Amino acid sequence: MKNTWRVIDTGLRRAADNIALNRALLEARQADEAPSTLRFLRFTPSALLGFHQSAEQELNLDYCRDQGVAIQRRLTGGGAIYFDDTQLGWELYLHRQDLRCADMQAITRRICDAAARGIQALGVDARFRPRNDIEVDGRKISGTGGAFDGDALMYQGTLLIQFDVEKMLRVLRIPAEKLSDKAIASARERVANLADLLGYVPTLDRVQAKLTAAFAEEFGVVFAPGKLSAIEQTRFEAALVEIDTDDWVHMLHRPQSAMAMLEAAHKFPGGLVRVSIAYDSEMQRIKQLWFSGDFFVSPRRTIADLEAQLRDTDAALLKRHVEGFFAARTVDMLGLRPEDFIGVIEAALAQRAVVV
Amino acid sequence: MAIVRGCNLPDELFYHVDSNVWARRETDGTITVGMTSYACALAGQLVAATPKKAGKEIEQNKTLCTVESGKWVGPVKAPVSGELIEINDAVSNKPGLVNEDPYGLGWMAKMKPSRWEAEIGSLVSGADVAAVFEAKMNADGFGGC
Repeated sequence: MKNTWRVIDTGLRRAADNIALNRALLEARQADEAPSTLRFLRFTPSALLGFHQSAEQELNLDYCRDQGVAIQRRLTGGGAIYFDDTQLGWELYLHRQDLRCADMQAITRRICDAAARGIQALGVDARFRPRNDIEVDGRKISGTGGAFDGDALMYQGTLLIQFDVEKMLRVLRIPAEKLSDKAIASARERVANLADLLGYVPTLDRVQAKLTAAFAEEFGVVFAPGKLSAIEQTRFEAALVEIDTDDWVHMLHRPQSAMAMLEAAHKFPGGLVRVSIAYDSEMQRIKQLWFSGDFFVSPRRTIADLEAQLRDTDAALLKRHVEGFFAARTVDMLGLRPEDFIGVIEAALAQRAVVV
Repeated sequence: MAIVRGCNLPDELFYHVDSNVWARRETDGTITVGMTSYACALAGQLVAATPKKAGKEIEQNKTLCTVESGKWVGPVKAPVSGELIEINDAVSNKPGLVNEDPYGLGWMAKMKPSRWEAEIGSLVSGADVAAVFEAKMNADGFGGC
C-alpha cells in the first residue's frame, strides 16, 4: 500500500502570497499538520531575491518600479530571479522520514533528477546539472533551491515555458553592455523554453501531470488532489503580516559598491577568452561569471557547465574548482587549456583592488 | 575526542543532537555555540550566515542564525535558552570558516544561558557522544565526513 501525498495548485498569485504560502506550508509540514505535498504555483510579474541577498545589489529597482514588477524575498537561497506567468513553479514539502537522507546535496540531486524525468516525459532531454539547475543540452530550463526547518523541508524549482530572457535581464542589476542585442541573443542561448523545444505551448495540466507522475514514481507514493487546510490558511495569513512588508523585502541592506563587476579578456593560442564577473568584495566570492569571446570548445555546453560550477564560489578556491571541473570530463578545446580559463578569471579578479 | 564516521565530535563539548549544534561552557558561565562537523558535512560549504542581533533572548531550539549552502537555507538553533551576547563577525564575513574549523574559529555565537541547570539534561556530552551520533547518522543514512 503506497503512501498518499497531496498535490495542490495555488494558481496565479502575487509574490507576497506565494512566499507567505512557502512559510505556511513548511511550518504546517514541520508541525505534522499537513501531509507531504507537491504544490504548483505561478507568479504575477515578480523579482525574487535569494534569502541572503539585498535588493540594491541585485535588482534594477527603477525598472521594477516603472514596470510594476513586485519585489520579494524567497525563503530559499541562491540568486535573484524574475518570475512571471510564463513560468510554472513546483515545490515539494517533505518530512525527513520521506527521504531517509540528510545530505543536502544528495537531496537536491534526487529531487532534481526526478523533476528532470518529469520534463523528459514531455518530450525534451532534460538533465540535472549540478549544483542546482535542470538543463536541456546545456541550456537552463529550471533553477531550484531549498529551505528546511527541523524535520521538514521545502524544495522548489521553476520551469520555463515561454520565458522572456530580455525582461529578466532588465529586472536584474547587470552591466549595461549585457543588454546589447548581441548579449541578449547570447543570454537567450543559455536558457531553454519548453514551448520552443516542443514547437507548441503545452497545457499546464499536462506539464503538472508529468511532473506529478515523476515525483510519485521517485518516492513510491500516489498523489491525491487537495487544497489548503484551515490551519494552513491561518498560518498563511500570519506569515503574510510579516512577509508582505518592506521590512521583510529589505531585511538585508548591502551597498551596491560591495558587488563589483570585473572584466578581463586575453588572447591565448586557442582563441580570445573574455570573462565578466559579479564579485562580492565583502565575502570574497565569485557570485556569477559569464564567458564570451572567440574560441572553440566541444561539447558546446562545457562553458555553460563551467559557469554553473563556478557560481557563488570562494575566489581563493578558484584554481581547484576549475581544475576539478576539467579533470572530471573530456573536452576538446583546440589549443585552449584549463589554466587559460583560470588565467583570465585571475586577471579580472586582479582588478579588485582598483574597484573596491 | 570522539570520531564518528570520520566526523570529529570533541567529547568535552555539550551537544544538542537533534539540532546538530554544540555548546562549550566557559569559566565565566557563558557558553560558546556552533555547528557540529557533522552538520557541516550535511550542509556542504556555507556561503552566507545571518545571525540574530546580540542582546536578543532566544529560547532553546529557536533560531540564532540562518545559514545558506548550495542554495539551501536553514536555521542554526540555540542549544539552550539564553541571551545572545556576541556573534562571530568573522563567520558573517567568511561563512566557510564554519566548515574549516567548526569548533574553533568557526564558532557562531556566545550566549548567557538562562536555564542551564534545567536544560543541561537535554544535551549530550562525554562518553555518550559517539553512540548518540552514530545512531543519528544511521537514521540519516549518512556515509561519512
